[in-house]
Amino acid sequence: MTLQAEALQRPSLTRRLAALRAVDAATHEAIVAALPGLAEHLEHEAGLADMVDLIAQIAAEAPDAARVFAERLHLQPGMAVDTHGVRRWALHGLKRHCNAPGHRIDYFDRANPELFFDRRTRNDTEYLLEQRGTLLHYLAGFGIAHHHIDLHEPRGEGEPSPAPTVDNEVIRLPRRFDGIDPEQRGLLLRAMLAHVAAHLCHSPLARAAGNRRPVLLAMTALIEDARVERLTAQKHPGLHSLWGLFHTANKERSGAELAGLMARLARALHDPTYPDSNPWVGKGRELFEEAAARDLCDISAFDRLARTLSIDIGKMRLSLPRDSHPVPAYRDDNTLLWSRDLALPVDEDAPVDIEVLEAGAQRETPPAQDLLNIDLRPRYLYPEWDHRLETLREDWTTIVEQAPERRGIAEPPRFALHGGAHRQGSARIPDRSIRLMRQSEGDELDLNAAIESVVQQRSGLAPDERIFFHHGRRRRSTAVVVLMDLSTSTDRFSAGSFTKVLDLEKQAAAIVAQTLDADRDRVAVHGFSSNGRHEVRYSRVKDFDEPFGSPQRARLAALTSSLSTRMGAALRHATTLLAAEMTDRKVILFLTDGEPADIDVVEENYLVEDARDAVVRAAAQKVRTYCLTLDRRADRYVRRIFGTRNFLIIERASAFTSNTNKTLIRILAA
Amino acid sequence: MDDRILPLLIEDEPYYRSAGNEVELFTAAMARALPMMLKGPTGCGKTRFVEHMAWRLKRPLITMACNEDMTASDLLGRWLLDSQGTVWHDGPLTSAVRHGAICYLDEIVEARQDTTVVIHPLTDDRRILHLDKRGEVVRAHPDFRLVVSYNPGYQSAAKDLKPSTAQRFGAIAFDFPPPAIEAEVVTHESGISSDIAERLVAVAAQSRMLRGRGLDEGMSTRMLVHAGALIVEGISPHDACALAMTVPLSDDGDLQAALRGFVEAQFGPWP
Repeated sequence: MTLQAEALQRPSLTRRLAALRAVDAATHEAIVAALPGLAEHLEHEAGLADMVDLIAQIAAEAPDAARVFAERLHLQPGMAVDTHGVRRWALHGLKRHCNAPGHRIDYFDRANPELFFDRRTRNDTEYLLEQRGTLLHYLAGFGIAHHHIDLHEPRGEGEPSPAPTVDNEVIRLPRRFDGIDPEQRGLLLRAMLAHVAAHLCHSPLARAAGNRRPVLLAMTALIEDARVERLTAQKHPGLHSLWGLFHTANKERSGAELAGLMARLARALHDPTYPDSNPWVGKGRELFEEAAARDLCDISAFDRLARTLSIDIGKMRLSLPRDSHPVPAYRDDNTLLWSRDLALPVDEDAPVDIEVLEAGAQRETPPAQDLLNIDLRPRYLYPEWDHRLETLREDWTTIVEQAPERRGIAEPPRFALHGGAHRQGSARIPDRSIRLMRQSEGDELDLNAAIESVVQQRSGLAPDERIFFHHGRRRRSTAVVVLMDLSTSTDRFSAGSFTKVLDLEKQAAAIVAQTLDADRDRVAVHGFSSNGRHEVRYSRVKDFDEPFGSPQRARLAALTSSLSTRMGAALRHATTLLAAEMTDRKVILFLTDGEPADIDVVEENYLVEDARDAVVRAAAQKVRTYCLTLDRRADRYVRRIFGTRNFLIIERASAFTSNTNKTLIRILAA
Repeated sequence: MDDRILPLLIEDEPYYRSAGNEVELFTAAMARALPMMLKGPTGCGKTRFVEHMAWRLKRPLITMACNEDMTASDLLGRWLLDSQGTVWHDGPLTSAVRHGAICYLDEIVEARQDTTVVIHPLTDDRRILHLDKRGEVVRAHPDFRLVVSYNPGYQSAAKDLKPSTAQRFGAIAFDFPPPAIEAEVVTHESGISSDIAERLVAVAAQSRMLRGRGLDEGMSTRMLVHAGALIVEGISPHDACALAMTVPLSDDGDLQAALRGFVEAQFGPWP
């Protein structure tokens, strides 16, 4: 038996294959056929397991696409060499074509995963995403507050990187910066955005292109670029030298083809000290300076100038190159100058819905549907942590907030309270606005008391010794979200009792809501269940601003169990809600009965790792998470998700509520 | 004029460049003894304006910076001891009321609301001050004026003037002056050339666009003056802007980087 054949028999692989067969038998067959070939190309057994995991993930979401992909792997096993690259490629396809099954099959059938193997592209893309917050602030400084920054579709190794594209709301930037030193990437990005800002502030946008020929369009755009840059540099003179860094064209480097000449003209218009012997460039510069000296805002004069120059190009018998790289590198493709339908072929492959990328949660607009059937539930997009790639999958999950059911329950049940011991252990912090005067000891002299005391002393009376004051303390305020797991498993009876898990959770939530001090503390009771990554249902039973009154009790009582447990997404949403609170401490109290799972995830540990990431990120926003679970075998994963001290495994149902109380005291005392 | 407040007269004219009609408004309000409130972002020239007006009106100026620990006694005065026994010492507000000065309470919302209530009888037509500890009612000197200032920008809802306090005042809203005038101020105060001053002002203007995106307030004119002065000292513009303008303004990495971008947009790439 060969080494490869041996690897195929390993239990880790057979377990995964069994999981895949449960999801989609046809895909399973196809991948089993492909395995021997794959084993020859993949060095480690772990790589094979990774591939099977990935196929299973695709199959859970799009079985037909997974089948196509598995068959393709059988024919060209070599494409799986870089397992991480393939994984990134596949995830990109799933995300981009999530609403278009036809496109998705095409993508897995034909698209080239090698686009995602390139280290340079990945590096640049990561850098760009990292800088996005900064860049949005930078744009806002130019008065452009409503544009988002997104990425262009990836291009192959040989193709030139596209220029930035601007439309009404989105600025798309390239994933790779060709010919730019990594040190200069920040400068290039700012130069790009400053140039875009110059257009948005000064250019006439979306003009009808009419019967202008491509050469004339290109010339008009070039002149317009120079004009808006000059206008902007009047207000921001430093931009001139920033843009100047990227004007490198000259006779030797750029040549006398049209693209080269245009780059040289661009440089000549930018830099008055740049010498150029070409008569056409000289003429362009002369005409431009003449028009600029008259009025930089007179667009028609510059249009005429562009026309004159393009006629000269015709006389020189030069033509536009087919696929040109933008020169200088920071300039955009100027599609924003012309109205789309007239000047450009419509990009058929453009994403169906523009996925808005912005830091934090973003409200997604519900897609327009049948007018009577519009889904008005608010939706929020959250990322998810991919521990294999060690990156966040942006906007991977969708939280759907539902209005909780309002079933008519005449008298909502009251839940018995177990002691109100919470005040004992509450931590106190100094508050300067509370002043305790006339104390026998303290930080400072209470001047009025001190003088009175001396007066008493001198007049022969016994002086009052309480002559100090100190600042008071107040109890720390806390905001708690009780996050209830509402998945199907909570419908069973808890071990050794006749109470359902869900009812225990309800009791615990009620206790927390009733016990906390309504003056200082804020409590919300929320529940969640998930139906795949596109629908993580989240119900707000009681919100921070609501009292825990009859309607809220009725809602709590009406909760039912259904679907699965995608912990990470729910934790992220609860964190976002808590981050808006102003209290001293913020806590998520997580009530559950089992480990995270969802219908579209087959991979082991994926959701556990994602939940762990959500907890860590919550902690970075000063939100503590604490887990109470009824799963006896939870030790394996809760420790990983919540950390060693922040969970409690409760084995007996009868102890659940009293333990909730204890936990609450611990949280308040911490 | 009483000897004790005479040193508080301002002799040399404090520089103030008016950008509107605030000088006329304030003069008229002072002539009618109307208490005045100046609102505006930090470092836009409120305090300088008061000093300038005190100089113009030839009245002594008593300034108090308010804080949370301030008590009514700190404003009114208290009994102190000497070798003979107790003596009463007037607080700054009482001194101004008794002898006829302008009392300027800077950042009045920082003081606790129960402290600021003592000015109520002073600011209506009674114009009296109760010194309950001394059993005295002080009638305000005809020259006494009250001016308060605060910054409505970053205070939380918890720190706000009581309506009963706010309604006793006339108010002038201050903001940063238009770019040309602000550049003139920076040039005058720091001694920098007007070209550099204009660029500093443009950086500040961009930073003020970020208000509400994580910045409570944009760069103040005061920061620009500091940066200008550093440049006069021979520091490079980039370093001066970093020291006096971008670094103090925010701790957030993204905002910092954007602010540095604005400096770059004026002075070219960072060396």
